[in-house]
Amino acid sequence: MVIPAVLILLLLTIYPFIYLIYVSSHIWPISPTLPKIYLGFGQFTYLFQDPTFIESLKVTVNLMVVGVTIQISLGTLLAILLSTKTRITSYFTLPFMIPVFISPVVVGLIWKFMFNYDLGILNYLLESIGIGAVNWLGTPRNAFWSVVIIDTWQWTPFTTLIIKAGLDSVDPTPIEAATVDGANRFQIFRHVTFPSIAPIFTVALLFRTLDAFKAFDIIYIVTRGGPGGSTYVLGYNIWKTAFYQNQLGLAGAMSVIMIVIATILAFILVRIMKGLLER
Amino acid sequence: MIGRISRTELIIRVSLLVIFFLFFMFPIYWMVVTSLKNTVDIFAIPPKWFFSISFENYWYIMSDDSGFLKKILNSAIASTLNAIFTLLLAFPAAYSMSRYKTGGINLLMWFLSIRMIPPIVGAIPLFIIFSKLGLVDTFIALPILYIIINLPFAIWMIKSFMDEIPKEIDESAYVEGCSTTGVIFKIIVPLIRPGIFATLVFCFIMSWNEFLIAYIFTRKEAITAPVGVARFITERQILWGYITAGATLASILPMLLLIIFQKNLVRGLTLGAVK
Repeated sequence: MVIPAVLILLLLTIYPFIYLIYVSSHIWPISPTLPKIYLGFGQFTYLFQDPTFIESLKVTVNLMVVGVTIQISLGTLLAILLSTKTRITSYFTLPFMIPVFISPVVVGLIWKFMFNYDLGILNYLLESIGIGAVNWLGTPRNAFWSVVIIDTWQWTPFTTLIIKAGLDSVDPTPIEAATVDGANRFQIFRHVTFPSIAPIFTVALLFRTLDAFKAFDIIYIVTRGGPGGSTYVLGYNIWKTAFYQNQLGLAGAMSVIMIVIATILAFILVRIMKGLLER
Repeated sequence: MIGRISRTELIIRVSLLVIFFLFFMFPIYWMVVTSLKNTVDIFAIPPKWFFSISFENYWYIMSDDSGFLKKILNSAIASTLNAIFTLLLAFPAAYSMSRYKTGGINLLMWFLSIRMIPPIVGAIPLFIIFSKLGLVDTFIALPILYIIINLPFAIWMIKSFMDEIPKEIDESAYVEGCSTTGVIFKIIVPLIRPGIFATLVFCFIMSWNEFLIAYIFTRKEAITAPVGVARFITERQILWGYITAGATLASILPMLLLIIFQKNLVRGLTLGAVK
């Protein structure tokens, strides 16, 4: 009975993928009436010398590494805070889940409004406590960090939920034993709690890494890749090349490279998940 | 985690929680508040914390001029159709994988790896194919495309619920002369009903919130709410009142569903890895 699901997914993924490779070897305008020109690997060799493409790969990786590191750290902290079982924490958990379940477009728009230089509430607050306005989206460096803040706002709850579930499922007996033996709290976390949540921790890390690799919505809404290419992520680069500059073939070649990287990341995730399930 | 914590630590913990709470709640509060201000108050400096509530943004949003309600309706159609399609495909697959271990762990992992494909990568070839088939900007395009995003989730999620039903229950039903169909509809379905609802809701929310695919595969007739909201950013100005009102309207449904189904939705988000 798995056949319908498998067939549909094959039809919607494998067939388009083969077609994508075919597209990527051509100059392929969006308009079907214009001629398509065969180039072979031409667009790939072009891409590896294209500074914009290399730069967008770097931006994607930077955003991924910085964002995921912050989200995992804050997520761990928040999970520890929430895993203390009191009445307050049980009320607190639901509101923390909201960002994950609203559209990234909505998230991008709210933050774009709050980051606004003249009208934004953030600059008003900063000025009223004497720090002065920040040009959140205007300089390359600031725009990069602003995107990191937005991403962190939306996805820290996700890492929190996974890590919290890991913490909740930890068997308390060894912790009690270690406490009796006189271990301090840091030692307990390092040697008892952490090893038992390590696999689920890795799952959170990899899920976020792969999702951050796909970044598009927030970038499109908030910065459109700018200023100065500082947030020009791969996903946005592909979209713009394909649907704005009408070069489906070139965008296809970028997609092939992107899917190769995603496959490598997914392969690592699958290996770890398999280990987790087979335990 | 640990029973005894000192008073100072409790204070640190609670204040950290409050800071986190403000950080995560304030943007949503600010969105709703802004949507209820009139244009003058939105642009007021310093920002108005107290103001007279105005529904002018909502009146415009809900008028025929903006056509936003039609986009909400389009979102509802696409999301509902997709949730149904996905469930119809996922349920039999999950059943077979849970009860007969079809495909083993490798098939399960193949589904997981599909979840990891960046949507933009699939969008290019699928856009060419859908254009040839004349499916761009139709009501059927998005429900089909979202299967790629939601089916792996749904299979993992339903399977994780089914795995919790002991096989002995199936077996004793077979012994009493129940057919496979009987087992599925009289035993499995009633027992995992909350899981089935959560899966439907999960697929619905994911489709409802999706932007990139909707943006590429719709033009005019089938535009969804997120694309509609994004369009209030015009060349000349950004219409913050309409944007916040539209964004609020587009967020109400997911937030309500989250409140109702919270625990089981988390399970979907993590592909059933977290129970």
